Amino acid sequence: MLSTSPIAVGRSRILSSVFSRASGDISSPAAWALGLESLGQSSRPVDPHSHRPSNRPSDTSTIDDSLLDQEKWDNAWNIVTAFLSLPDPGFEAIIASGGTNEAEFLKKWGCHDPTPDGIQEAVAYLVAPLSRHGWLRPDKGTPNILTWYEFEMRRHFLKNFRDGLLKLLSYSEEDHQLQKIVHCLQLARHIYVSPLGNHIFPVLSNSEQKAALAKLQRGFHMMVSYVLPWLEISAMMYREITEDTMVILGLDALNEENKYYDSDDGSMDLDLQYTVSYRRWKKEPSAEGRKQLMEEPETGRAAEARNRLLTLFNGLQLVGLGGDKAQKIFATVMNAMLTEFVRAAYSGHWKTPSLAVQHLNYWIENVFAQLVVQVLAIINAPESDESDERSTDHLDVELSDLKKWQEIGVARLGELRTSELFSIIVEWPASSGAIEELRHFTLHPAARYYLTHTFINILNNRLLHPGASTSEILQLYISIIRAFNLLDPRGVLLDRIARPIRRYLRDRDDTVKVIVSGLLADPVDDEQQGRSSGDVLVELSTELTKTHQRALHSNTGELDWDDMHWTPDPVDAAPDYRKPKNSDVIGSVISLFESKETFVKEMQNMLADRLLQNRGDFDQEMSVLELLKLRFGDTVLQACEVMLRDIFDSKRVDAIIRHDHGLSGKRATPRRPTTPGKAPQPSKDVPELHAKILSHFFWPEIQGHEFKVPGDISKLQQRYADGFESLKQSRKLTWLNGLGQATVELDLEDRVFVDEVTTWQATVIYAFQSSSSEEVTKSITQLSEELNMNPPIVRSACLFWVSKRILTEVERDTFRVLEVLPTDEGDHAGGAGMDETGGASTETANEAAAAADAAAAAAAKESAEAAAMEKMNLHWQFIVGMLTNQGAMPLQQIVMMLKIAVPGGFPFSNEELREFLAGMVAKGKLEIVSGGSYKIVQ
Amino acid sequence: MDYTMEDTQNSAPDVQDSKLDSSSQRNDTQSVTKRLQAELMQLMLSPSPGLSAFPNADGNLLSWTATITGPTETPYEGLTLKLSFAFPNNYPYSPPTVLFKTPIYHPNVDFSGRICLDILKDKWSAVYNVQSVLLSLQSLLGEPNNASPLNAQAAELWESDQEEYKRLVLARHRDVEDVE
Repeated sequence: MLSTSPIAVGRSRILSSVFSRASGDISSPAAWALGLESLGQSSRPVDPHSHRPSNRPSDTSTIDDSLLDQEKWDNAWNIVTAFLSLPDPGFEAIIASGGTNEAEFLKKWGCHDPTPDGIQEAVAYLVAPLSRHGWLRPDKGTPNILTWYEFEMRRHFLKNFRDGLLKLLSYSEEDHQLQKIVHCLQLARHIYVSPLGNHIFPVLSNSEQKAALAKLQRGFHMMVSYVLPWLEISAMMYREITEDTMVILGLDALNEENKYYDSDDGSMDLDLQYTVSYRRWKKEPSAEGRKQLMEEPETGRAAEARNRLLTLFNGLQLVGLGGDKAQKIFATVMNAMLTEFVRAAYSGHWKTPSLAVQHLNYWIENVFAQLVVQVLAIINAPESDESDERSTDHLDVELSDLKKWQEIGVARLGELRTSELFSIIVEWPASSGAIEELRHFTLHPAARYYLTHTFINILNNRLLHPGASTSEILQLYISIIRAFNLLDPRGVLLDRIARPIRRYLRDRDDTVKVIVSGLLADPVDDEQQGRSSGDVLVELSTELTKTHQRALHSNTGELDWDDMHWTPDPVDAAPDYRKPKNSDVIGSVISLFESKETFVKEMQNMLADRLLQNRGDFDQEMSVLELLKLRFGDTVLQACEVMLRDIFDSKRVDAIIRHDHGLSGKRATPRRPTTPGKAPQPSKDVPELHAKILSHFFWPEIQGHEFKVPGDISKLQQRYADGFESLKQSRKLTWLNGLGQATVELDLEDRVFVDEVTTWQATVIYAFQSSSSEEVTKSITQLSEELNMNPPIVRSACLFWVSKRILTEVERDTFRVLEVLPTDEGDHAGGAGMDETGGASTETANEAAAAADAAAAAAAKESAEAAAMEKMNLHWQFIVGMLTNQGAMPLQQIVMMLKIAVPGGFPFSNEELREFLAGMVAKGKLEIVSGGSYKIVQ
Repeated sequence: MDYTMEDTQNSAPDVQDSKLDSSSQRNDTQSVTKRLQAELMQLMLSPSPGLSAFPNADGNLLSWTATITGPTETPYEGLTLKLSFAFPNNYPYSPPTVLFKTPIYHPNVDFSGRICLDILKDKWSAVYNVQSVLLSLQSLLGEPNNASPLNAQAAELWESDQEEYKRLVLARHRDVEDVE
């Protein structure tokens, strides 16, 4: 409102000045011009508004014209130019306001004085010769009112609009700035075109009108593109188009919905009539319903945005910012939108059955393509009407384009899924829908390569590093196998993906262990405990049972002509590609290792551990072994089978021996320790002894502590062994005292303790036995000598009993039986002669338990050290061989040779070896000769 | 369900690798090395009394030195005899070249240490190994094959004059360290 008054004032001044002169002083400029003409200079009146330097109206055209004509011409020229020249001031406001009150402005603009008399004639006069001579030819040099008008327009535009527009452009962050610019430009265009239409066109023929308009428009477009730097305009255009398309394509709603779901994933009813949500689409049960969902009328917001966008494109087209350039930008935007849509709509939706591809195609057809058609209709609009016929049968968007877009869409979806693949696999099998979608994607070798390549990179980053536990990797590998078997039944992709994983797994020490323990795990057990047991890959044992049933059917493989699921090799399979026979989960996992021996050895160890447990039946082990035999063949697993049979046989043998030799005790306490079985009971009847008889040759090395068993037990062992040897003539029984369980019953003064413990723990407590009621006190050293047992183990056992509150540590390494429990925390001082260490509150018991664990760990460490020493003994053989044959050698060379000669390398450091050799020198087996070389003592 | 089939996933890359960077000869060498390593391991795990062998320090396992202690109740009793083993690239399909490094007076060994023993020549079989060769040699010391002597004098003396034979054995014997 503020702006109207200065405009009005300005205008009235302009009009009065211009038009009064135009009507009143008509003769004087002409006369002046005449005078000039006589001087041989330009006859053209100097128009104060015109910058044109060289528009000499009479230079060439006056050849046959009389002076009179010239004068008349000049007159007419003056009248027309004065009338048509554009007033300058008053535009800043309108530009600043962004063309909002443009209508008002135009009204003012249009209502200037009625056309003065004679303008019509003057125009006609000026135009007539032009049209006669073919006025459109520019090189003719004829003074041309139209050309003049174009220059006038240019001058005016540069003077009045340019700065304002640039200013608008500089505020590019604001919303809808482009719209304002376009508005202003439209306004400018209107201002420039309307006088032409009002005053000049009436005297022109139809075709001339068109040509003139086109020319003017071209001029205007040129000017616009000159004034507004394309770089900035395009950025702005990109932003605005993006904004609107987001709404039109339903992306903003989608994003909001996602946010909603992210915040709380409860059930909800988002108030959107129109949505492209894949969630909704999937919920809709019938295909019909889905179609409707997509074709529902869009929301007000979207409609509004669509209107705005189309208007914008119209405007752009009108002011010369449309055309190819705008189309390029539009294409860029749509390209980005497609990706964005795929991301927003489908990321994280992996459930089966998958309708994503279908949904995407619908969306592209109905939403995406619709917008494209609408926009292209504007952008590709022919500039003039001549091309009408062409445009009717020319389609902006053809069916093939649509198909191409859909393909691109699927490719984008594939890209998305590929990037999500790791998470998809982690979620497997809940995410099988995503794999179905990937099948649509992995049709071309390039796409397949992209998939494998990207996925391997992801795997290297996220899985195959020291931070992931072996069972995690294996678990994921299993999922990968399952997922890829679905994705590509021929296994070509899996083959590529699996290689790095397998290579990595082979490098891990505990891979075999994890696999074997997984195979032997009890699936039923696990279900009861919940899936959280983590470390054990129970999945393997489940899979083993399952695949066996399947394997029975599809044994014939490639030659099975009734196999209805047969698929040909994919395009990118190598010519000699052959689907690996063991491509199922179990097959892949157990074939990780080149030799079966590694696997079988671990299997033996694990089986040994399990079989030595005090359990009633070993059905699980049996069935696993049977199933594995199907894969490995009987011979390889022979040792394992013997182990199992040993256990079953010993049950029978045990019964016979016990029966024959009257070993069966009166009490039916089930006790079945390993080879040595014993139950030290401080009193009463003869303990029961059960044994497991192992065939030494077939069992792995079993580490066990050696010690002296109580006399009762060793007598029993002797009788048992005799019984066995009479039963099995040629076989001999060796007792492994360190393994097995014993049930002990401790008769204390105030209580009776019954529990199943290990043999060495039982032996230690047996040593505390006494017939008198006196409390027995013994030190570790004493016990160790008495029982011929390693002190750490003795200590561990004692601490175990402390934790059970049977013993108490009176002073470091000395223990005493706790015949009477201290009454309670309250008066432990008055208890049965307890000192502080024997305070025996719950806390101390706990502490003792912890200490027992620690001691057990120490004992384990010791036995590990013993094992290491044993290993060293093997190396000692090598060293002896080396020094015997090669003569004296320095340490360095010994290490080097050991590294070469010992299979699996030499695991000790130089220092360790030096220490070891020093020990041997001390034992007199080696001597050090000149130069620090070691030599065998002959 | 026969597991004997090679797993292509495992074997393929390895095959490619070896094709890329090595000749077939290297493949041979690898298998020879593997075999020799296994033999060494066996020797270490179950040593036979009076016998020992170990690869030389040149690091390729193809040349070994072995030591035989002269068996009791033979003229060689208490002597330490060193031998050199040189394994061909196609071992065990060809026999190793075995020489006595210690000077020895024996009907089947010449003065440069070459040995005439059928299993080291035409009777060689791939089931023999270092240990069995050494055992054969050890028994050869006590029971020379005088039918095809390399040292005719020794063969004759063995039959006729054990005393003189033993004297010559001891006269010829030197410890290898002294020789070198």
